[in-house]
Amino acid sequence: MMLAQEHAQELGEHAAGAVEKFNAGKTIIEHVSNSSLEHPLLQLPTIAGINFSVTKHVLMLWLVSAFVFVVVTITVRRFLKQDRPIPAGFMNPLEALVEFIRDSIALPNVGKKWVNVWTPLLLTFFVFIFCANIIGLIPVFEVLGLLDHFVLHTDEHSIVKLLLHGGTTATANFNVTAALALITFSAIIIAGSRAHGFVQHWINLVPHGLAWPLYILLIPIEIMGMLVRPFALTMRLAANMTGGHIAILAILSFVFLFTEMFGRAVAGVGVGVAVSVPLASAISMLEIIVVLVQAYVFTLLSAVFIGMAIHVHH
Amino acid sequence: MEGISLAYFGAAIGLGLIVIGAGLGIGKLAAAAAEGIARQPNATDKITGAVNLPLFLLEGVAILAEVFALLIVLMK
Repeated sequence: MMLAQEHAQELGEHAAGAVEKFNAGKTIIEHVSNSSLEHPLLQLPTIAGINFSVTKHVLMLWLVSAFVFVVVTITVRRFLKQDRPIPAGFMNPLEALVEFIRDSIALPNVGKKWVNVWTPLLLTFFVFIFCANIIGLIPVFEVLGLLDHFVLHTDEHSIVKLLLHGGTTATANFNVTAALALITFSAIIIAGSRAHGFVQHWINLVPHGLAWPLYILLIPIEIMGMLVRPFALTMRLAANMTGGHIAILAILSFVFLFTEMFGRAVAGVGVGVAVSVPLASAISMLEIIVVLVQAYVFTLLSAVFIGMAIHVHH
Repeated sequence: MEGISLAYFGAAIGLGLIVIGAGLGIGKLAAAAAEGIARQPNATDKITGAVNLPLFLLEGVAILAEVFALLIVLMK
């Protein structure tokens, strides 16, 4: 009896499962997160406990790095090879950017003595984070998916299909931003050590000349502050990028949800045209501003922290 | 009440409180900045520079809190 009931239940599930229900939460999370460890883009061995397989976000990291490196290097080499250093073409905005970061982010925080030491790092942060964020807004992999669906018809397990689960912002992965924050953390220690000496940098964490019981309270607070700042940098960038994408995807899922609710495609398309697409476009425009602001904030806060290690003032 | 319903309830109320806190803080900063610039227009750069840093720190705190609220909902 039990076996027959179970069998009937299975058959019922199979019949209903012919058309999959649209699971909004699952689809959104799939789009925003990294490829799973069982299906990476390129399976590589595990060395010393670290799995080196190439996943979606790793590929985006490499693409962004290669793009930034090639563009900036070619522009600057061409500029330097001229007879007289007059900027032309893409060198104009690049020079304006370098001057902006040097004069309004690095110089007020780090001071004239160290500005040439720390401006390259801050520039790299800004350009890399900006490019990584903005490439996440361009639907590279969705266009690839359209191409695949209508033109190429690749196999189920090809690399094209693996790439397809949604757009990827490399900096939306908090591991990437944690690596950037780790660079800032080391830069703070290096800056303090170069300016004051390695031991003096740690002594500078707490103000001088206080009664000794206060130090017992102050030292853990300062150490915690030192660790919380890179953590906040990490989470700020990663959460801002992920949040924007989740909002856009959630609004676009209204189309599918309404289609399912009313059972007709017209409902979904109507909601899409009237509500989803304009709202998603508006939020994408807001995302462009957020991208710029987040790159600027990361760079500014790194400069402020490095400056605080160099010019100690309590 | 199930545990998961209470989690949704708590996260929703928490998110509302986060938005209130961030709104109040950033609003106060913006008001102070606007008033300062109105009194001395030639100090605009300095005022903007002084307001920038606390603004983004506060926004960062709000984002951090939103992430934790999301974690409350997603953790089983």
